[in-house]
Amino acid sequence: MSTHITVDPVTRIEGHLRIDVEVDHGVVTKAWSSGQMFRGIERILQGRDPREAWLFTQRFCGVCTTVHAIASVRAVENALHLEIPKNAQYIRNLIVIAHALHDHIVHFYQLSALDWVDVLSAVKADPAKTSALAGSLSNWPGNSTQQFQAVKDRLTGFVAKGQLGIFTNGYWGHPAMHLSPEVNLLAVSHYMQALDYQRKANQVVAILGGKTPNIQNLAVGGVANAINLDNDATLNMTKLYQVKELLDEMKGFIEQVYFVDVCAVAAMYPDWLKVGAGVTNYLSVPDLPLDEKGATFEFPGGTIFDGDLSHVTPITSFGDPYFQKNVTESIAHSWYDGDWQRHPYQEDTVPKYSEYDADGKYSWIKSPRFDGHVMQVGPLAQVLVGFAQGHEPTKRWAVKTLETAGKIAGATLTPAVLHSTLGRHAARMIRCCVLSELAGKHWSLLAENIGKGDTTIFNEPVFPKGEQQGFGFHEAPRGTLSHWIVIENGTIKNYQAVVPSTWNAGPRDARNQAGPYEASLVGNPVADAEQPLEVIRTIHSFDPCIACAIHTLDVEGHEVSRVRAL
Amino acid sequence: MPTLVLSLGNVLMSDDGLGPAVLRAFEEQYVVGPDVVVMDLGTPGLDLSPWLADAGQVVLIDTVKAPLPPGSLRLYQKADLVGQGTGVRISPHDPGVKETLLALEFAGRAPTDIALVGIVPEVTTMGLDLSPAVAAAVPAAVRAVAAALERFGAGVSRRAEPIALEPWWSAEVRIPA
Repeated sequence: MSTHITVDPVTRIEGHLRIDVEVDHGVVTKAWSSGQMFRGIERILQGRDPREAWLFTQRFCGVCTTVHAIASVRAVENALHLEIPKNAQYIRNLIVIAHALHDHIVHFYQLSALDWVDVLSAVKADPAKTSALAGSLSNWPGNSTQQFQAVKDRLTGFVAKGQLGIFTNGYWGHPAMHLSPEVNLLAVSHYMQALDYQRKANQVVAILGGKTPNIQNLAVGGVANAINLDNDATLNMTKLYQVKELLDEMKGFIEQVYFVDVCAVAAMYPDWLKVGAGVTNYLSVPDLPLDEKGATFEFPGGTIFDGDLSHVTPITSFGDPYFQKNVTESIAHSWYDGDWQRHPYQEDTVPKYSEYDADGKYSWIKSPRFDGHVMQVGPLAQVLVGFAQGHEPTKRWAVKTLETAGKIAGATLTPAVLHSTLGRHAARMIRCCVLSELAGKHWSLLAENIGKGDTTIFNEPVFPKGEQQGFGFHEAPRGTLSHWIVIENGTIKNYQAVVPSTWNAGPRDARNQAGPYEASLVGNPVADAEQPLEVIRTIHSFDPCIACAIHTLDVEGHEVSRVRAL
Repeated sequence: MPTLVLSLGNVLMSDDGLGPAVLRAFEEQYVVGPDVVVMDLGTPGLDLSPWLADAGQVVLIDTVKAPLPPGSLRLYQKADLVGQGTGVRISPHDPGVKETLLALEFAGRAPTDIALVGIVPEVTTMGLDLSPAVAAAVPAAVRAVAAALERFGAGVSRRAEPIALEPWWSAEVRIPA
């Protein structure tokens, strides 16, 4: 006897992501992921100046603004075979890093911690014990008994007055919650501290990008940050040192708090290192370019199939033909006119809505494929592709994570445990530690290059007559992002964005291969069909970002998510 | 501590771009004092919190859901925004104004005062223009922003001659030279 559960969040807008699962004897047997809102914003770009595209694309999504700006300028530069100055690469790299650090910290503490942390249980914690536990794991100064006591008192006050507003959708008391009151208090305290580090990362983006959200400093051909070490109005030494100080502070929090918290959660939920793998084909593109051309990179890219870390097919440059040739999108189960699988240059976006039909069309999201294969993208793909190619900092942080979590759990953990729901959280933290470390390196590369007297920031783009095609990729916080552009006589003829959450959240394709979200849910336990916390855990581990993005505030309505168990 | 005027909304999604449109009209007609910071934030989700944490007085401009016809103006205060719970969060877009404020309230770092100037939208599908009903509400929303600043005792005065600001997302397609 199977139960059908629909999780359809009714938020302030018409709904983003709907998940349907069939549960048999407490285990998910089938799953469907459905994007509930039509995008197609790419159509706004047709006929426009390619140099302006990034201003529009960074409004695709209110959360992932920077990444769409970066991918867009790279796509146009690729179409024009335009190199960009070293300073511009390094400044972009620092923005990319700061944005990613911010995004990962927000994801863990603000968006997914409540899946694992029972806030109400924290009021029962002994702050001295919490402090002792925290002290055994890190030297972070924000772990004193007094600080934990203050958070506990504040929480107790809120509970007494029934003002748990922000936590009302926490699944407290759920049978799948396993942390001790002390660990819960630790997490709630760090959740509050994370606000400050979110702000510091934003400051870095604002100093270099002019503003956040929605940076202002990009240009096709480079950046618009004039560099003059003696001028207050330009990028100068004072601003560079502000950036460095902020990045160093971030590094402290990431290594001494975020790292430890994820290791502790992973160690205390060992079952979640065994479920949620789903698709074990991984795709990650190289990023943080080190030269003008985009031929050498900090992070290696490549593909892995069937979880086999001994075979990686590398992706090595911005113009890589292996990547360029193999990306397609299918609309077999998506609400678009037709039933094709096409290369992004040849795609169109013609909506054709019909009823939700689990065997037919059931999502607004298309299904990207790589040489016909379903691919998982995101931090786990980033870490595994780096690990398998011997990327030193990735390997070092991955090993350290497995050792630390293993020590807390009293078990030996191998890289194989990373193919899982909590493995995705661990990989995100590993990527964040590596990025944070590399921030210092790229800051030095920029400072040294300026120190040599190089203040070049921009190469003028020239648009020839006729048609050019180009693609720009970026390994964004949620995974591989690519923008594809066709330019005709200097204006945009076609534009497609293949975004990370499309790779992961897309529906089945013409061959009925399930997407990564769908595959990852199969085998998940569900203890209570009315409160499918386990489904939420696995979906959140991908850091879904679907709506791209409208914003209507609902002050008067009562927002409830609909969970229907049939 | 500066008083903030922050607009929210996506200019690519028709009426959802109300906030930025009102902000632009406000800047065309009013000058603010050095104690006021004016900024369009798009649809920042939880990225609102760096702006709102430890802030003083804040004027927010946004579209709002309310059982009223499109273009209706609604004004809310801080208590209206922090008085309720939140929905299940699936994506980082879900946590928005209310969630950010509740989180900051819990951390003891919410703004001291908030005035939300809201307009009920009609169309929130892809598009660069406001619907007629919502466009007609822009002047009233602009006056409400100015009134909120006056009530906060922040520097604001009407320009003798309005200026014209062209939005970068102007629907007109520009062909490169």
